[in-house]
Amino acid sequence: MKKVLLAFAMTWCLGTLGTVYAQAPAPDAQPPAPAPAAAPGTPAAAPVAITDADIKGLSGPKAEDKAKGDPAGTITGSVADIPVGDAKVGLTIGDVVNQVGQNMIAINFVWTLVAGFLVMFMQAGFAAVETGLIRAKNANHTMMMNFMVYGAGLLAYWLIGFAIQEGGVGAVSNLGGTAPLNGEYAIHLFGKDWGLFGMNGVMLSGATYDVGVMVMFLFQMVFMDTTLTIVTGTAAERWKYSAFLVSSLFMGAFTYPLFANWAWGGGWLATLGSNYGLGHGYADFAGSGVVHATGGLTAMAMGIIIGPRIGKYTRDGKPNAIPGHDITMVLLGCFILAFGWFGFNPGSTLGASANGNLRISSVAVNTMLAGMAGSFGAMSYMWSRYGKPDASMTGNGLLAGLVAITAPSGFVNPMASVIIGLIAGVLVCVSVEFVDRVLRIDDPVGAISVHGVNGLFGVIAVGLFADGRSNFAGAWGGVPGSVTGLFYGDAGQLVAQLMGVATLIGFVFTFSFVLNMIIDAVMGQRVTAKVELEGLDIPEMGAVAYPDFVLKADAMGMD
Amino acid sequence: MALVGLVITFAGFVVAAASVGVTASTGGRLGMVLVGIAVSLAGILGVLNPAYMKDAIWKK
Repeated sequence: MKKVLLAFAMTWCLGTLGTVYAQAPAPDAQPPAPAPAAAPGTPAAAPVAITDADIKGLSGPKAEDKAKGDPAGTITGSVADIPVGDAKVGLTIGDVVNQVGQNMIAINFVWTLVAGFLVMFMQAGFAAVETGLIRAKNANHTMMMNFMVYGAGLLAYWLIGFAIQEGGVGAVSNLGGTAPLNGEYAIHLFGKDWGLFGMNGVMLSGATYDVGVMVMFLFQMVFMDTTLTIVTGTAAERWKYSAFLVSSLFMGAFTYPLFANWAWGGGWLATLGSNYGLGHGYADFAGSGVVHATGGLTAMAMGIIIGPRIGKYTRDGKPNAIPGHDITMVLLGCFILAFGWFGFNPGSTLGASANGNLRISSVAVNTMLAGMAGSFGAMSYMWSRYGKPDASMTGNGLLAGLVAITAPSGFVNPMASVIIGLIAGVLVCVSVEFVDRVLRIDDPVGAISVHGVNGLFGVIAVGLFADGRSNFAGAWGGVPGSVTGLFYGDAGQLVAQLMGVATLIGFVFTFSFVLNMIIDAVMGQRVTAKVELEGLDIPEMGAVAYPDFVLKADAMGMD
Repeated sequence: MALVGLVITFAGFVVAAASVGVTASTGGRLGMVLVGIAVSLAGILGVLNPAYMKDAIWKK
């Protein structure tokens, strides 16, 4: 078995190196002859200004031609379709330029909205993965948590969460009109302003009733919901449904938005670069830290508070395996998540036009490469350690690779993406064993390892692997230039990333823990032992997920 | 002990965040942030989780 894996690894490495060398010029190759035109950057001819007079005579296709139809698509869309500001004056340069600007914003709107729709569909992936990994007697309950976390999170985020997160982000140039989001509350500390939370956008009212703000809300909202649904996996099979709803409302309203403001909303972590010279400040392109580590660490807090399932550990603390009931659903869910991740990462440019946004292609490729490498890393680890390529861990490896590349996806090259994915794939397996056997925190779906551990790893990976080749409007975090990691010369960026890690572990975990501890004290987070043994579907939901199936007696805890 | 664990975990964050005010050197800040992370991890893994483990359901 080990020989097979070794041969596979060598083949892969040689193939990769071969690709690299194949792209480098041969030593004796002649450099291409320079173009006869002037040096790069010098225009070939002097630019000629266009005036209103130049476009005055332009006309669209004739009405009789359009009446014949346009099967080739050559006359649909022309000068005749550009709105004219003043009919008496006719078409002007101003009309054309305005239309170009609106087209750019329209492209960015459509791109960001479609990406948001993809991320929303990830809820289905999470629901499938989590439900497949738990026992059939709790399937209705787990599916309902994944279903209603969407509504609960959305409600809380609309009420207050969005304002806390994005209320002070300012105008996002890609979206044109988010200027109403200009109210960031800050304190003065160590000689600089530390942004703590935003204040505009409560219930999307007032000036935030704005088309650009709506795009921002939709895209950020589905990210927030991803974070919330991570927790339901760890607490599955024993979480009281009413407590889950309250916990999710608080997380969508406060926990997630607070850290998201610090990282993405113009808060103090984002300005570590401009304020204190730490690289470009905390850089988290699509949310390894903001989304996944926040969700994973909150899941860990819940796992500690709620305790392990009955039967998970023997009296001497040895873990028992409690297999899920549908591995096909798990892997299908992983595929849905991988598909949705193409909205998650490339969509985080918040645009496809201008400002370096054509890098969406690079972000998308990095995403798929890291996911693939993660699944290979986990499969290889499990195969070599236990003799079989474990399906659920291979699925978790895919997710781990995707989680880890989420923060670096906009800043690293494809080779780094594969390395990050491979490390993540192995890391998730080691972490699952550590959480299960050493910490004895019962995590039925491995969410702490997939999202928490690999989210933190992804944040650190930015500080190591960012190659300084991205160019998002010439600056990031208010600092000119590109995000560059330690391996490419900027140690300050690594410090900024580690500051984010320290904040996630030290603040977000503590905040989540205290919130859920209070909920536990007030209403109790865990169902009774009788309900847990019977299965949560009937006592909590009033119906089982599979009424036509006969569930095994031991799975019902009745043997 | 659970509260002590929470205090230690939060203290790690404070140490890390204060690094930008204490020193201007990147190495110094790196050191303080790493200490902060270690303190927070010690609070969670070394104090908080063991405190909850004392009353774990599988020990009853």
